[in-house]
Amino acid sequence: MGDHLVRAEEFEKKAEKKLNGWGIFGSKYEDAADLLEKAANSYKLAKSWDQAGKAYLKLADCHLKSDSKHDAANAYAEAAKCYKKVDTNEAASCLERAVNIFCEIGRLNMAARYYKEIAEYYESDQKLEQAIAYFEKAAEFFQNEEVTTSANQCNLKVAQYAAQLEQYEKAITIYEEIARHSLNNNLLKYSVKGYLLTAGMCHLCKADVVSITNALEKYQDLDPTFSGTRECKFLADLASAIDEEDIAKFTDVVKEFDSMTPLDSWKTTMLLRVKEKLKAKELEEDDLT
Amino acid sequence: MSLVFERYERQYCELSANLSKKCTSPNALDDGEQKKQKLSDIKSGVEEAEALVKKMDLEARSLPPNVKSSLLVKLREYKSDLNNFKTEVKRITSGNLNATARDELLEAGRADTLTASADQRSRLMMSTERLGRSTDRVKDSRRTMLETEEIGVSILQDLHGQRQSLLRAHETLHAVDDNVGKSKKILTAMTRRMNRNKWTIGAIITVLVLAIILILYFKLTR
Repeated sequence: MGDHLVRAEEFEKKAEKKLNGWGIFGSKYEDAADLLEKAANSYKLAKSWDQAGKAYLKLADCHLKSDSKHDAANAYAEAAKCYKKVDTNEAASCLERAVNIFCEIGRLNMAARYYKEIAEYYESDQKLEQAIAYFEKAAEFFQNEEVTTSANQCNLKVAQYAAQLEQYEKAITIYEEIARHSLNNNLLKYSVKGYLLTAGMCHLCKADVVSITNALEKYQDLDPTFSGTRECKFLADLASAIDEEDIAKFTDVVKEFDSMTPLDSWKTTMLLRVKEKLKAKELEEDDLT
Repeated sequence: MSLVFERYERQYCELSANLSKKCTSPNALDDGEQKKQKLSDIKSGVEEAEALVKKMDLEARSLPPNVKSSLLVKLREYKSDLNNFKTEVKRITSGNLNATARDELLEAGRADTLTASADQRSRLMMSTERLGRSTDRVKDSRRTMLETEEIGVSILQDLHGQRQSLLRAHETLHAVDDNVGKSKKILTAMTRRMNRNKWTIGAIITVLVLAIILILYFKLTR
């Protein structure tokens, strides 16, 4: 390991010398870039991510000066990968710069992919609003490039986090959009009921009973097979339980559904919120009466 | 070998005669102690008879087939007799709870209904248990089926994504193909230009050399 560090520092010093001195034929940037790349590699092998990231940043600068934007953008991406192990904010800023350069060159595909990565970093850091923003941008780019699967995936994440942050309208629109889109596709139509279920649950969280019944009807129109599924029955039962404000019935319905297919954490959070609202309403009524 | 079998057979016949005598006698009134003793006698006798029957069974099976079939028939008779003895013993034991004749009579009657209803109850419970177990199994299989469905859905989504990537790769390859064609043309143009330049320079050099030779020639001959 020490060997790599030593070599890396050597490379870096040589590169610095080249940069500061006069080069023949103006090729100093390319040579320096080569040396810096070797230095950064050695730093990576020596596992000193911080220094590797810095070396990659210098490399990117060199490439920019020598007008090879593609290489610069790649170098920024590598820097971000190194920083990921140390400091996510730094990584995110590197990736942003990389994305900007990719946009300039016109490689929107790569730009979209890196936006998605940035969003994932923020997701793991639990900074949900920023994550949502980046996922949206990524989804936009993917849509422009006609990469519908990745666009759908990003949109799904946006909807999930929006619902967690209580932006239910947004989540509902996204889910319905995706469901409508997937109906036409033979491969995706089996996941439609999943999407409709999540959309229905967002309706429930809005605590507006009329809207949920309307929505259920709309979904049954959209997808003729939806009315026979357990999901539809589950939603209908939940809606009636909320209507009657009967917490026991609500819990029963949820337990029954859970015994067949275990509910994941997002759904459990949503259902818990609905239950809290129900309880609050009950307490309110008790106070009034 | 069949000698052994015959010996067992004789022993069994003796025992069964004993047992039948003993079984009929306790139906006459005796007091508790003697009855219990007689019952234990009968039980031990039944166990002996059972052991004998088992030994006879083993013997019969080790014998050649023609003799075996007749012996097995006999064995079956003995086994059914033994079962009768056992039921008798049970009846008597269950009927042995009270000393007086009337109670014994009623007890015997009640024992019959008790055993009958106990039988029915146990049968019902068994069938309920079996039904419960099959319901559980059906629920489990339904759950597995739903899980499989979910996995299937996610696989389909993956396939969709991969299909799109493949299509895009296809298009990109077409573009690459075009670019390679273009670069080939450019390279051939460059080589042609290079050759042309080479020939031009060669020609100029030859002309210049010739000019120098001519001038020198004229200079030297004047």
